[in-house]
Amino acid sequence: MLGYRFLSKLKHVLRPRPTPSVGFARSQEAQAVANKLEVFIDDQKVVVDPGTTVLQACAMAGVEIPRFCYHDRLSVAGNCRMCLVEVEKSPKPVASCAMPVMNGMRVKTDSPVSRKAREGVMEFLLVNHPLDCPICDQGGECDLQDQSMAFGGDKSRFVDNEYTGKRAVEDKDIGPLVKTIMTRCIQCTRCVRFASEVAGVEDLGTTGRGNDMQIGTYVEKLFASELSGNVIDLCPVGALTGKPYAFTSRPWELRRVESIDVMDACGSNITIGMRSGEVMRIVPRVNEEINEEWICDKARFAIDGLSVQRLTSPMVKSPEGYLENCDWEDALFCAAEKITRAGAGNVAAVAGSLVDAESLVALRDFLHRLGSETLTVNSEHPSDHLVNDLRASYIFNSGIVSVEDADHVLFIGGNPRLDAPVLNARVRKCWIHNELEVSLIGQDVDLTYHHNHLGETLSTLEQLLDGSHAFAKTMYAAKRPLIIVNGKILCGENGSRVQDLALKLANKLSQQHAEDGWNVYNVLQTEASRVAALDLGYKSSSKSALTKQTKVLYLLGADDEVINRADLADDCFIIYQGHHGDRGAAIADLVLPGACYTEKNATYVNTEGRAQQTRQAATPPGLAREDWKIIRALSEICGVTLPYSSLSTARQRLCEVSPSFSRYGDQEEALFFQQVVSLSEDSSESGATNEKLTNDMKDLSHFYMTNSISRASRTMAKCVQAFKDKD
Amino acid sequence: MAKIATEGILAKLKKVKDIVKFNGGVWNSIVTLYRTDELKQGELVGEDKYGNKYYRNDEHIMGRNKWVVYSDKVGMNYDGSQVPAEWHRWLSDMTDTPPTVKPPLQHRWMIDHIENKTGTQQRYVPYSTTRAKIQSWQPPAPSK
Amino acid sequence: MIVFPLKNKKQHRILMLALLRWRIHCEQPNKMALPAKLVASIKLFNGLPCGSLASRCTAVSPIMHQRTKSTYKLVSPDKPDMSWDGVTDRASDYMFMKELLQGMAITFGHIFKEPATINYPFEKGPLSPRFRGEHALRRYPSGEERCIACKLCEAICPAQAITIEAETRADGSRRTTRYDIDMTKCIYCGFCQEACPVDAIVEGPNFEYATETHEELLYNKEKLLNNGDMWEGEIAANIQAEHLYR
Repeated sequence: MLGYRFLSKLKHVLRPRPTPSVGFARSQEAQAVANKLEVFIDDQKVVVDPGTTVLQACAMAGVEIPRFCYHDRLSVAGNCRMCLVEVEKSPKPVASCAMPVMNGMRVKTDSPVSRKAREGVMEFLLVNHPLDCPICDQGGECDLQDQSMAFGGDKSRFVDNEYTGKRAVEDKDIGPLVKTIMTRCIQCTRCVRFASEVAGVEDLGTTGRGNDMQIGTYVEKLFASELSGNVIDLCPVGALTGKPYAFTSRPWELRRVESIDVMDACGSNITIGMRSGEVMRIVPRVNEEINEEWICDKARFAIDGLSVQRLTSPMVKSPEGYLENCDWEDALFCAAEKITRAGAGNVAAVAGSLVDAESLVALRDFLHRLGSETLTVNSEHPSDHLVNDLRASYIFNSGIVSVEDADHVLFIGGNPRLDAPVLNARVRKCWIHNELEVSLIGQDVDLTYHHNHLGETLSTLEQLLDGSHAFAKTMYAAKRPLIIVNGKILCGENGSRVQDLALKLANKLSQQHAEDGWNVYNVLQTEASRVAALDLGYKSSSKSALTKQTKVLYLLGADDEVINRADLADDCFIIYQGHHGDRGAAIADLVLPGACYTEKNATYVNTEGRAQQTRQAATPPGLAREDWKIIRALSEICGVTLPYSSLSTARQRLCEVSPSFSRYGDQEEALFFQQVVSLSEDSSESGATNEKLTNDMKDLSHFYMTNSISRASRTMAKCVQAFKDKD
Repeated sequence: MAKIATEGILAKLKKVKDIVKFNGGVWNSIVTLYRTDELKQGELVGEDKYGNKYYRNDEHIMGRNKWVVYSDKVGMNYDGSQVPAEWHRWLSDMTDTPPTVKPPLQHRWMIDHIENKTGTQQRYVPYSTTRAKIQSWQPPAPSK
Repeated sequence: MIVFPLKNKKQHRILMLALLRWRIHCEQPNKMALPAKLVASIKLFNGLPCGSLASRCTAVSPIMHQRTKSTYKLVSPDKPDMSWDGVTDRASDYMFMKELLQGMAITFGHIFKEPATINYPFEKGPLSPRFRGEHALRRYPSGEERCIACKLCEAICPAQAITIEAETRADGSRRTTRYDIDMTKCIYCGFCQEACPVDAIVEGPNFEYATETHEELLYNKEKLLNNGDMWEGEIAANIQAEHLYR
């Protein structure tokens, strides 16, 4: 492992950072301006940094060099030879992806030599490639197809009309997500490099040489990574394709809708591929500040859950105790009657993990107008001592991208690899390239990279704080440390203790050691709705909602185990509004069918406090409606009409409540960190410090099914099964 | 006189007599004329399993030299779509080799000819061949 | 001069004659030009080949003049023959409806002639083996359906008449679950069968599938496969007949 890390660093020296770094790295870049190199791409002058490859220089000149093995975010392999270009005074064409530029280099990208070289490479690739484009899922978005049209020869010398046989390779079974048709493989090794560099599971590799070279797992085994789906996008041919997506649609018939993932709180940017009202697939969309170009498997493959277990009609419980379909009038009038009869203070609401900000604000205003203040998020936290009054106490203050500049990351609790896979991929990237130290307090888990496990209990945190821990010295030496507290830990039994200690530690670090303006304290939320709910003033403990006084409990997509019928009064009327028949709907007396995130234009705020919006790709099934509209309709029947009747006016209301909703895509900087610290000191509790920090994400089998959509998904169920069968 | 017998009115009358005879007498000729609007005489090339008879007489111009007399079973409910595939090819002049000479290929999965059933109870009614896209949640029975 | 909206060929002839006469009487052919009113009336006259006439008249060269003079002939009848014989002949033709009877005789004579039309549905017009009629989905000789759900036909269809949905069949092969053709959208261009890599979708030789309702023409996969199973003999023979040109 160390050897590999050393080599990667060497590679990193040879080529510039793939992503432009922000903030602190800028000063280093300024020094480099002096010694730039001048190269000529097709007689066009380009000035580049030393260490730039010919291929990158060509890209700067606007010349696209064909390539298969080269990828911006992976190390250079230089084995496909498709990027051969002619360089003046060079006896042979050079592989531009692996060739650093030299001063005065003259590159000819479209000369007869370059073209002939490409044609030759393409011919060799096609000799061993099957002609099964009609049944290949990559057809239509295949690099090999496109490049053979653009750069390949115009005639065939393939004369094996008797079908004596082409090269064929046995398919590998690497799990329920990625389908392999290895005969189509052109051995670009992008997947191998992705697995070992980004995903951090060295499962894939090559065996054999020359014509017998194969990509595979050597022995049949599961490609156990939370990012495994990304090899599908990376594969330039149809060798690795999506197993659930297999054969279902073609890229040209998909309508692309740019949206946001809600499976975790990172808010990864996605593109939904939609055909005739059905979500066919989800692929990542590049956002350098959040997910680069990766998304986790849950975001990509849980979509088959969108079409099963759906609530398609309002349901009301019959006297016999059966939930029966009814129409909207009956359901809303029934709900209104119960709510008005319950009286002002006895209505409570709990918001679940997939709820959008518009419906959160609608529910909040609705309950406030009814005279109730009991609005909570789904959380096990026993008391209201958690400081969530100021934004700085519950968001990822420094932004996900700050990991690139950090020199020490301390994770407190949880399993960042499974709670936020794209964040973990970035930490891993920085661990490889930036000498990043990572340490973890809480149950030790496999983070795919080396980290210091400091301890499992709160006392570790205390020891770090008072400097008695063996690791404290290293910690305090860091110039740009990050403390990343897992949101689930804050919701847990010891939440306020953890928060208090972490805030104190962060404060100490930032005041004594860190550079100015560097945000140390970060919370990694795990639910997509959480930051928006806290922004809108939802309380962080469900305790107040789950009392015997509550007459009507309004569950807005709240499906977690926190809510129990037993905690409530026997005559408590439970209204569940959501999109899936899950735990919440099962205990409800009235079910109002809502829309899931692919079916509405809605606002979600990610863990950084960045408001982003999903776009409607499909229509809500059956009688289901957009969530905020349901609450608006109910408010009208209850006689407390909400003053907004369109999405834009609902969003105006959002902005009134919290200005952070007004700027989509941007992260609002959270202020008042010092005040958070002092508030925390005021409300801090004392307690036993030898309690362990719990973690429900021990391994991959816990990753796949975390919310109502992924619990409904068959693909995710297969993943869990495959992971359990692995051993 | 001989000329009259071979080309003149007598020849025509003889032809009428032959055609009537070919069609099975005066009454049958009237029936056939009523049914097909035409009386023709020609070589019987073959008959398909549905009872349609196929004739050929190259004295007629192309397009009229091959014809079908639909099965008596269908009566006046004859229809162009009652010609099965193997004879359709011959009747439409795509080939001159009738299926009696060169039998068409047979596979066990091939099905019998079905005429155009529009307007009848057996007409084709479109239906979806796919599963329902959305599966609704079925609430569990109350636990009591 | 006789120059006014012309209605038929006869008037056309009269006009030409008039032009001719006028031209012959013209003393100086080079300066000859049509009166403006005449040209206008010729332009008005669209149905008959008058444009050429007008151009011929306006761009008159001496040589043209010579040639046209010998080309045109007087074809319209002269004044009616007013001799006794002529008058009585015309009178008797009129009295005994000679022209009418002549016409009827021709009609009667056609009863005994070979008609120029065909007696559908007993006789059918010739079709090409490449005829593009009703669609069918074919099978391999083993009975396995050919279609592999590549969706190229759907992509190429200019009328967007084809709808395909596909998924993995239980045996792992790529198959359609929906293959719908809206036969009322289809323009019968045959691109689908050109696009098909496995000769699965073909336009068969059948054109006798007219229906009374619209919905009967919304074909689904089952119907198309049945068509294939029914017409396979002829479809295969036609493809065989054309194999040299494919």
